[in-house]
Amino acid sequence: MTLQTMTQDVIAAAEKPALSIINYSLSYKTANGLISALKNIDLTIPKGKTVGLVGESGSGKSSMAWSVMRYLPPNAVETGGAIRLAGEELLDHTPWQMADIRGKRMSMVFQDPSTSLNPTIRLGEQIAEVLMRHRGLTKAQAWAEAEVALARTGITRPKEMLQRFPHEASGGEKQRVVIATAFACEPELIIFDEPTTALDILTARQILDLFNQLRDETNVSALYISHDLGLVSRVVDEVSVLHKGVIVERGLVGEVFAKPSAPYTKQLIGAVPNPDRFIGVDAPAEPKTLIKLDGIGVHYGAPSKIQKMFWPEDAEKVGFWGAKDVNFEVRKGELLGVVGESGSGKSTIAKVLAGLQDFQGNLEIEGKTVTGRKAIDRAYRRRVQIVFQHPDASLNPRQKIGTIIARPLKLYGVVPREKIKARIAELLEMVRLPAEYADRYPHQLSGGEKQRVAIARAFAAEPELVICDEVTAALDVSVQAAVAELLVKLQKDTGAACVFITHDLNLIRQLAHRIAVMHHGKLVDFFDRPDARSEDRDPYTKALLDAVPVHTPVEAFEIA
Amino acid sequence: MTRAYLLRRLLAVLLVLAIVTFAVFAITTMLPGNAAIMILGEYATPEAVAALEKQLHLDQPWYAQYLSWVAGILHGDFGTSLRLSLPVTQVVGEAFVNSAMLGATALVAVTITAIPLGALAALKRGTGMDLGLGLFSYLGTALPEFVTATLLLVFFAAPQHGLFPAGGFVAPWEDLAGFGAHVVLPAATLGLVLMAHISRQVRSEMSEVLSSDYIRAARLKGLTEKRVIRRHALPNSLAPAIAVISLDIGYLLGGIIVVEEIFAWPGLGRLLIYALENRDLPVIQAVTLLLAAVYALSNLLSDIVIALLDPRVRYA
Repeated sequence: MTLQTMTQDVIAAAEKPALSIINYSLSYKTANGLISALKNIDLTIPKGKTVGLVGESGSGKSSMAWSVMRYLPPNAVETGGAIRLAGEELLDHTPWQMADIRGKRMSMVFQDPSTSLNPTIRLGEQIAEVLMRHRGLTKAQAWAEAEVALARTGITRPKEMLQRFPHEASGGEKQRVVIATAFACEPELIIFDEPTTALDILTARQILDLFNQLRDETNVSALYISHDLGLVSRVVDEVSVLHKGVIVERGLVGEVFAKPSAPYTKQLIGAVPNPDRFIGVDAPAEPKTLIKLDGIGVHYGAPSKIQKMFWPEDAEKVGFWGAKDVNFEVRKGELLGVVGESGSGKSTIAKVLAGLQDFQGNLEIEGKTVTGRKAIDRAYRRRVQIVFQHPDASLNPRQKIGTIIARPLKLYGVVPREKIKARIAELLEMVRLPAEYADRYPHQLSGGEKQRVAIARAFAAEPELVICDEVTAALDVSVQAAVAELLVKLQKDTGAACVFITHDLNLIRQLAHRIAVMHHGKLVDFFDRPDARSEDRDPYTKALLDAVPVHTPVEAFEIA
Repeated sequence: MTRAYLLRRLLAVLLVLAIVTFAVFAITTMLPGNAAIMILGEYATPEAVAALEKQLHLDQPWYAQYLSWVAGILHGDFGTSLRLSLPVTQVVGEAFVNSAMLGATALVAVTITAIPLGALAALKRGTGMDLGLGLFSYLGTALPEFVTATLLLVFFAAPQHGLFPAGGFVAPWEDLAGFGAHVVLPAATLGLVLMAHISRQVRSEMSEVLSSDYIRAARLKGLTEKRVIRRHALPNSLAPAIAVISLDIGYLLGGIIVVEEIFAWPGLGRLLIYALENRDLPVIQAVTLLLAAVYALSNLLSDIVIALLDPRVRYA
C-alpha cells in the first residue's frame, strides 16, 4: 500500500460517520419460532454527534445496543444489514477482533452502576484494567492514568476513590467511575444505555451535565438510549423513535418534539407529564382532616433493650432513622403528593400509614389516636389501603385475578358472599379491565394491567385513604399516564383520599393538591400545588425542581 | 475485617464449645449401664466395682463430675484411658494427627480438582462435558462411602495386581512413599462425595456470576476471556464454595469414622469405635469434643476467608 492510498484511506475514514447501521434486522429464536426484535433499522451517527434512540420497554432499543457491541445472546439471529464503525463492517469481525475494539474504539455506559461494577474489585483496578488491556500500560502507569480519567469526571479526591470498593461509593460516584472507564481509551463511539435511570434526581442531573461536558471536551460520538423523550432532548442532536423494532420517526430533536409526525411519537409526547396541566380531582370544598401524623419516627436497626441497658448513650446513634419527627395531615378526598429521593423516608411513611412498620409517635384517624403498629385495628386497616410499586411482587403468582380481588371483599365482608362474583366484575370494570380477567393469572397480564389489578384490590375494601407507593415508577411512560388518570377517576367516583408517593416531580404536580417533600427522613417542605415555584420554598425543593426538565413541546423547541 | 467482627465470631465459637462440653458430658453419662461393671466384667465383686466408681468419680453427683472434667480439660488433662491405661491426651493426640493427615489429603485433593471442574462445567454449561461432570457428581453423592470404598478396593487393591495396599498405615516421617500408597484409597473414598458437592456448588455459583451485569460489563470493556474468568468471575464464585468446603469438614469428620474402619487407618474414627465398644468414657468424651472443636473452628476459618474474598462482608 502506497503512502498516497493510505492517506486517502485516512481521509475517507475521517469523513465516514462514526456509526452507520444500514437496513439491519434481528430476530430471536424461541420455542414459538422466530420473534422479530429489530426490523430494517437505518441509523447514522455522524462524527462528534449524539443520536438518541427512544423507545419503551420491549421496543428493541437494548437489542440495538447489543448488536452494535456484537454481544448478542446465542439465540439471536441476524437477518441482514450492516453495522459499520467508521466504515468498518462489524458483522464480519471475529469475537477476538471485537474484543480488541470493545473498550478501545467503542465502549458502553450501563443503566445501573451498582450492578455493572464488580463488587470485589477496587474501583481503580476496574478502570486501570482497560488501560492495561488496550493501551499496553504497566500497572503503575494505568493507575496514574485512571486517576486522571476519574478527575475529569469531577470526582474531588480521585486518588482516594481508586482505592475504594463499589459498595464504599455512592450511586453517582459509581456512575462516574463507569463513565471514566468508558472514556479511558478515548473511543470513537460510546453507547449510553439509560445511564441515569437508576440514579436519584439530583445525581441524574449531574451525570447529564457531566456527559455534556465530556462530549464537548472529547468530541466523541454517542448513541444515547432512553425511554424518556424529555430527558433525551437535553443531550442529543438527533433522535430516532423506536416502536416494536421499527424506527417510526427520526429527526432533529427539537423538530420531533414540536411537530411529531408518527402517531406513536405523538402519543409518547402526550404522555409525558406536564406540570402546568392539572388533571387531578377538584380539591375538597372544606378541608377536613382524615389522618394526622403526629411526631412519627421510624428507627431501623434500633438497639435492643439489652443493648440500651449496657450502652444507653448509643440509643440514638445506633441504627438509622428512616423517618424522624414527621408531622402532617391528610385531608378527606384530597391527593397528597410525597416526593423525595431514594432513602428520603417516603416509603417508610407509606409503610407506617399502612400499618406495616413499627413507629414512634401517634397516628390520629378522625380523632381516634393510634399509638403504634400493634394498636392498629381491623377497622383502620380496611380504611387505609396500599398499592405497591411492583405489581409482580405484590400479586400472588399462583392466584387468579378473581381470587386476589375477592380477598379484601371476604376479609372485610364488604358484600355478601353471593354477590362477590358480581362485585369482582364491577371492580375490574372500574379499572377498565374486561371481566374475563378474573379467571386469568397475573403472568398473563401486562405490567400496566397488573398494576390496575393491584389498584382494584385496594379499592375493593372501599377505603377512605389509598396509599400509592411509586405505583407508576415501574411502568412505561404511556402506561404511566393511563394509570395516573385511572387513579384520578377512582378518586372522583369514590371520594377516597390518596397519598401519592413518587420521585417524579412533573407527574405529582399534575395530580396533587398539596405536596410534601422529604429528605433524609425529615419533612423539609409542605406546600399547596400552586406554590411550587414560590420564593419561600425550601432550598432542597428548589434544587429538585430545577433538576427536572420541564418539557412542554414549546420549550423544547426553543432549546433547539 | 474489623476486630469487632473477629472478636464476635471468636466469642461465638467459645460459646458453642462450652455448650458442646455439656452436651458431650450429658450424653456419655446418660449412656445406659454402669461403666464400672462394663469395664470390670459382670463377675466383678461389688467392692471392686465400688472402688472403680470412686476412681472414676462415678459416685459423685453429675455436676461435680462435670465440673471436675471441665477443670481437667482446661488444664489439658482429659484423664486416663480406662482400657489402654495411657493418658487420653496421648492416645487421642496420635489418632488425631493420623486422621488430620488423611482428612487434609482428601480435602486438598478435592479442592484442587473440584473447583476447576465446577468452573469448567459452568463455562461449558449445557454441553456434553457439563452433563458428564454432572452425572459423575450425582453418582459420587449418591453412593455411600462403604460402596465407593468397596469399589475402589476391588479395582485398585485387588491381589492380582495390588496397585495400592488394601489397608493399614505408614507414618510419612518413616516412609513417605509408603504413606502415599496407603493414603490414596481412603482419601479418594472421602474425596469422591465431597468432590461432587463442591464442584456442583462452584458450578451453580459460577453460572450465576457469569450471567451478572458486571461480567457483561467486563466483557464489553474488551478484557480477555482469561482475565474475565480468572479475575472477575472465579473469585466471586469461590466464597460460597469455601463456605461449603468448611461445612464439608463436618461431613468429613463423619465419613472418616467409616473410612478409617474399612481401611484400618489408626485415626480418631477407629479410636472412637474402639472406645465406644469398650465403654472407655474419657476417650469417648475427648474424641467427641475434639471433633466438635474442629467443626466449630473450620466454620470460623471459613467466615474469615469469605470476609477476605468479599469486601462487603467485612463490615457486616
